[in-house]
Amino acid sequence: MRILFAADAHPYSAHALKKVIELARHTWADVTLLSVLPAQPALQGDISLPPQDPQVQALRRYREEFLESLGGPDSPYSLERWDHEWIPLRNGSWEDIKVCRGAKKDVKVRIRTGNADTEILNEAEKDGSGLIVLGCSKGGQCVWNASAATPRKVAGNAACSVLLAKEDKPIRRILACIDQISVSQESLEMINQLVSIHGAQLELVGLTQDGGAKSEAYTRLIQIGDYFSDKGIPVNARLAEQSKFESVISTNTGQDLVAFWMGKKSLLNLLFPRDWVERFVGVCQSSVLVLR
Amino acid sequence: MTSDQKTTILLLDDEPIVCKRLKPSLEKAGYDVEAFTKSRDAMHRLTEKQFDIAITDLKMDGMDGMAFLTEVKKRHPATEVIVITGFATMETARESYQKGVFDFVAKPFKLGEILEVVKKAEAKLGHVATRPN
Repeated sequence: MRILFAADAHPYSAHALKKVIELARHTWADVTLLSVLPAQPALQGDISLPPQDPQVQALRRYREEFLESLGGPDSPYSLERWDHEWIPLRNGSWEDIKVCRGAKKDVKVRIRTGNADTEILNEAEKDGSGLIVLGCSKGGQCVWNASAATPRKVAGNAACSVLLAKEDKPIRRILACIDQISVSQESLEMINQLVSIHGAQLELVGLTQDGGAKSEAYTRLIQIGDYFSDKGIPVNARLAEQSKFESVISTNTGQDLVAFWMGKKSLLNLLFPRDWVERFVGVCQSSVLVLR
Repeated sequence: MTSDQKTTILLLDDEPIVCKRLKPSLEKAGYDVEAFTKSRDAMHRLTEKQFDIAITDLKMDGMDGMAFLTEVKKRHPATEVIVITGFATMETARESYQKGVFDFVAKPFKLGEILEVVKKAEAKLGHVATRPN
């Protein structure tokens, strides 16, 4: 599993980092910590970064916290492989620099400049990420680094799954909303891992609208329920009207992780306006997992 | 091993879809792959042949991946074992590490990710081969 953690300097990013650490502790994921600085003319021709920038400092803190949490003996992240490597510099030159890598897995720390959601999505694509994690504020305004658009755009446009961590609370229940004609194997495996890691209950919710798509949703509900049951995961399943479900998730406790699939064959995409996902992300009071 | 010999891989996962997805990708990348969905069949094959690399799922009926890892390392210490799992836990990750696993890859993973790990295992084994892109 490859995880891209898009971080800013706000407290919710520190909470989201805990989720990343917990995932990495169990999965040995390759992890990239990323911040995006606004495009600045000063940075274009100057190779050095502003060391006092809050995001630059925060990234260093996150790296230290990650390695303090996971860098001990028998850890795949413990820094023990020293070697000289040719590191590319600007203008087509390289420098032979001594670097220290993790025993089996690396934690990369990167900074990009430019538009935040574009750069996060570009990094995820370039790195082959399977999951993007970003913290964001709670409530109707789901904000990342002072931008309400970033979490929604990342969730709506990423090619991989996205976890929006809104709460610093343990995940006790995963509400997986089924609206799909087809569900990827990868997304089922992601649910497996999260149920296993958090010891969470799994509840499948087949979403319908005015009775629409009920048979398709019901069929998928049974099939996916069978998949998890075969894996030994206890699962509850039910159908719910989308409008009622939306009111439930807007008032829930914060210990739920609301997961839903978003792909090319989403019934929601067919039935509901395209911006439903973005509204859903904002409405939901607890953390959200967009599966692909 | 000569440069024209293919690196051999034993693939064990009780989910047929995983073998179906991984085997052709690894073969396309130039590896000689034998895939199994039952650990007893894979174990039996190990009595007949030493593989360069073994890729095994962790949670399976019958002999699980951890026991399989132990058996592979006991029988063929030079074989590099890559564990893949859909139910990762800190304990299984640590136990795999202590038993000499080469790497531990949690599902879901992209094909490029597993290929990268296989290439690293191959490099550790000292196998240098030209692979198709």
